[in-house]
Amino acid sequence: MWVLLLILGVLLFVPRSQLPYALKSAYWTIACWSVISSFSSIVGGWTNFFISLGMVEEHMLRGISPFLVISGRLVVASLVSVVTIIFMGALVQSLFSIPLFDIRPEIALFSFTLVSVESLLYSLLVSAISMRSSISEQFLEILNFAVIGILIVPISVIPEGLRIFYLSIPYVAPAYILKVASGSEVPDLLIIATAISIIEAIAFLLIALLAVRAAESHIRRNGARAIGFY
Amino acid sequence: MSLIALFKSGVFLDLYFVKNNRANLVSFLLWPYLMLILMLGAGFLFGSTQSFRSNVGEDVDPIVFFVSSTLIASASLSVMWDVGGAVLLHRWAGTLPYVLLAPYRTSIILVMAYIPRYILWSFIQLAEFLPPLILRKGVDALIIDLPILSVSLIVGMLPLLGFSAIFASILLVTKEESNILSWLNPIILILSGAFYPSYLFPLWARVISQALPTTHTFELARLSALMSAPGVREVILIIGILLGMSALYNALSYTMLGKAEERALGSGSI
Repeated sequence: MWVLLLILGVLLFVPRSQLPYALKSAYWTIACWSVISSFSSIVGGWTNFFISLGMVEEHMLRGISPFLVISGRLVVASLVSVVTIIFMGALVQSLFSIPLFDIRPEIALFSFTLVSVESLLYSLLVSAISMRSSISEQFLEILNFAVIGILIVPISVIPEGLRIFYLSIPYVAPAYILKVASGSEVPDLLIIATAISIIEAIAFLLIALLAVRAAESHIRRNGARAIGFY
Repeated sequence: MSLIALFKSGVFLDLYFVKNNRANLVSFLLWPYLMLILMLGAGFLFGSTQSFRSNVGEDVDPIVFFVSSTLIASASLSVMWDVGGAVLLHRWAGTLPYVLLAPYRTSIILVMAYIPRYILWSFIQLAEFLPPLILRKGVDALIIDLPILSVSLIVGMLPLLGFSAIFASILLVTKEESNILSWLNPIILILSGAFYPSYLFPLWARVISQALPTTHTFELARLSALMSAPGVREVILIIGILLGMSALYNALSYTMLGKAEERALGSGSI
């Protein structure tokens, strides 16, 4: 909802004739970002809560990975994202009388699955790092905010030679697929974006697994730092 | 415990908060510019200043428009969260019973402890935005725009204090524990026309926006974005509306928060 507030300001610069196209593109970018943001804040909030209550050590003593429990936030984060996206869409539709849900559902669902997996793995990675270092939550918020600035850029304004490089930035490829599903981007790079998204998700999985194992080993020897992130 | 002691506690709370949370201070100073950069950067990427002026329907400077909007949005958000959400924060921290049992009314405690924070942070942000203001409108900005923005910050706070305290009373009665304000606050700002003027919205949204004090504060602050000097009559009219709303919302909140407090004390379920 916060980003929607800012994006409405951006729409003031758009000529009236291009508003339907720009609004659709902006809305689905925010939808993608709200998944990323929900996962970060919900997994982060749970990590913070887990550390504060001393549940990290409690679980590890019983042979259960705290990160496995924290991954259970997938359900809550997905629900929150779905509700936010529907509510936000209904509000924007009623304010601008422009249809937003006229999309290709199978491609949209595929994109949301990819972005959810990437977001969950990224959140687990930061969660693991936060248990052994003191990361200030404010700087993570700024990083999170910077993502929307990257996602909102239409691929048409990127020079042709740099488009694949642009798609390789984490989250950009799934966001592009979502914009293709909504009809606000041309589908020329759909296959490449799909391949990049899958490779990115696998890379995130490997890095998150390594970070989680390293964090667990560190906690066994030194205990968890009561910082976490939120 | 005197009212001055409450006021002083508000001042010291913030000074020590800043002293012990340097990262928070840096982030606080960075956020308004990050918001501004996102809106202006993406705005110029998608469109132009001509389209902006044509959509707004007035001869305004887009940078000053968003500077004034960002300033008021940050200040309004601070009031809504720190007064409206104070009940939630005290409940989470376990300090709500102490606030309710203190000799002063909860509304007085919430407002008196909050005013120093509001004045300190709002005017720090105003000072932070002086360079872009002077860059866009010259030193004249200090003569006309600075007083308009300062008056907007002070007069706009008055009805919003009461408006937010009404939310505090609702949260107190409903024993709400979830952070519903993180949903409600952006909706209030959207309908107030924070970054997209409310007069461009459909009728139902315009009706709601007129009842929100923040709508008029944004209108007042945005007079500074006009390329020509704003009319004195317009400024006085908006200040009048804000003062009228201030009397209404503060009277309402004083009664509602008092009743909510009595109910919470009577039921013993704080």
